[in-house]
Amino acid sequence: MASQAAPGEDLPEAAGRRLSTGAWSSGLSVADFSSSLEMGMDPVGYVQGYAVMQWSWYMATGGFGAGFGGGAGFGGGWAAGPQRHGQYVEQWQCPHGFVSAEHRMYGANYELTWLEQSWATGWSLATTRMVEEATSLGATGIVGVVDSMRPLTGGAVVEFRSSGTAVAVRDAPRLTTPFSTYLSGQRLAKLIEAGFAPISVVATLSSVRMLGYCITHYQLAGSTAGTWYGSGAGGVSGVGPVDQVNRAQAAVRRLARERIRAQLGSDVLHGAHMEQSEREIGEGDLSIQCTLKGNRVRPFKDFDPLPEPLPVVRLA
Amino acid sequence: MRLRDEVRDAVRAAGPAGGAAAPAASSARDGGRTGVGGTTSDLTIDETLLLHSAGWEPVDLVYGVSWWSIPWGVWQWSTGEVQEATAAFAGAVDQAAKLLRQECEKAGGSGVLGVEIGIRVSSHHVAIELSGTAVRRTQGTRPTFEFISDLSARDFVLLTRAGWWPLGLAAGASFVVAPRRTARQWAAQQGQNTELPNLTEALYLARERAMERMQRSGAAMKAEGIVAVKLREGRASSGVRVMQFVAIGTGVHLRTGEHRSIAPTMVVALDELVRQFDVKSLRSASTQ
Repeated sequence: MASQAAPGEDLPEAAGRRLSTGAWSSGLSVADFSSSLEMGMDPVGYVQGYAVMQWSWYMATGGFGAGFGGGAGFGGGWAAGPQRHGQYVEQWQCPHGFVSAEHRMYGANYELTWLEQSWATGWSLATTRMVEEATSLGATGIVGVVDSMRPLTGGAVVEFRSSGTAVAVRDAPRLTTPFSTYLSGQRLAKLIEAGFAPISVVATLSSVRMLGYCITHYQLAGSTAGTWYGSGAGGVSGVGPVDQVNRAQAAVRRLARERIRAQLGSDVLHGAHMEQSEREIGEGDLSIQCTLKGNRVRPFKDFDPLPEPLPVVRLA
Repeated sequence: MRLRDEVRDAVRAAGPAGGAAAPAASSARDGGRTGVGGTTSDLTIDETLLLHSAGWEPVDLVYGVSWWSIPWGVWQWSTGEVQEATAAFAGAVDQAAKLLRQECEKAGGSGVLGVEIGIRVSSHHVAIELSGTAVRRTQGTRPTFEFISDLSARDFVLLTRAGWWPLGLAAGASFVVAPRRTARQWAAQQGQNTELPNLTEALYLARERAMERMQRSGAAMKAEGIVAVKLREGRASSGVRVMQFVAIGTGVHLRTGEHRSIAPTMVVALDELVRQFDVKSLRSASTQ
């Protein structure tokens, strides 16, 4: 089983016994199963990979700033701490000067790299373990991959899960690393006919925390504080864009897209699925997550366009 | 046989000779911070093939997000339309669409298809989230921006074959606080199932304003009509007497001078569900 430090090739003993019995299992529907056979893909086993991880949305040490400032505290000069190369950080400063101890004098949007790495580790472990099972079965690839992350025991433990059907392609060379794809059946057949070879499933999570400064705080609370002296001087008009949130929302999506593109090399991402969520972590503060996943595919022949489709009206 | 040969070719391309079938897992682990990117798309394979057949191809995933603030108290102290919420909605849609267009142009696309529209209206802000796939022509000169549309690739191909062209998202919204019933009305309606005219009228007022704004927004982009209009109506989360009505669709215009018939072929599908006589439920009904 792959370890967190260094993925290996070994499987649990029981899994090895099960996989060597000769009978195969499959997660494919009957329609996808028959499509696979038509493509010359024989199911060899229903393969799975799991990783259970301790999980917290907050870092145990350092609190604010630990994600980007090396543990610098609030108001303690967060730009001074060491930042990871390419890490997203933006800062906002209150235009009012000192008002009170409770006034939000500084605000920041920053990327939670430790959370992103934890997610990548959990997802990678589950996926790598699934691929290892397929490799031990002599499979060419894994089709119909399904993956998820869910709380396992309470909120602090989560399970990453990947499963799919390992297939062997008749008369095809054996790959060092089997391909994997979320597609199966007809959709996979169409992908290949169109000239794209499945390479692997790819996924990423990006996370940005937004600690609002006074203006953002006022806007999200519906306050119109300081309207009388104008927005240019720090007043908050009633209706207007919440710039700090908009920047954070754009950043979290951009980061996810950049990560996925970095995993693609010169390949193509097909059937991407982007999901975004946010949680309010305090008055005027947000934690925003974005997951992006899809199929990494590689063009292997000239694109084979469809003839012009025939429009039909169904009478049933 | 041809398909099987192609599958074998695909496997060869996926192998090391094809250049790194390294699992995503390994590159995801370091946050995927190395390398350069290729095309990304959220279209299905059917949509991709169909677009190609019409001379278009996907370029990149693009998005535009905008939150606009709504001041405190606007929902509580008045009746009639809440101008601030309506203005915040219009501002947020406009800004999100502009950001989406900027992303599309940056990616080298001519339009954005299959735009998913996320709308959230809370007491103090409106959030509009747009995301879709930027597309461009497979042949032609340097792309110039042409449209944003929430139509699917299939609908886009059908629409353009009929001579019509998408222009942009047309949207309108209205939020109306219904007046309270008078004590006399309240007393008269007790114990009856009767219409509540204050709420019905508020919903009608919101609808007229929203539909009018959407049509005005379509006219501003020189659209001749708006297709695939989606409505969101009912109680807003901001209060029990607040009615919301949101209308959004794709503005289209006729590019070819006149509508072209797509001459559909009629088919009787043989895979539809057959109506069946359910013996079991009849038996259980007779024993009751």
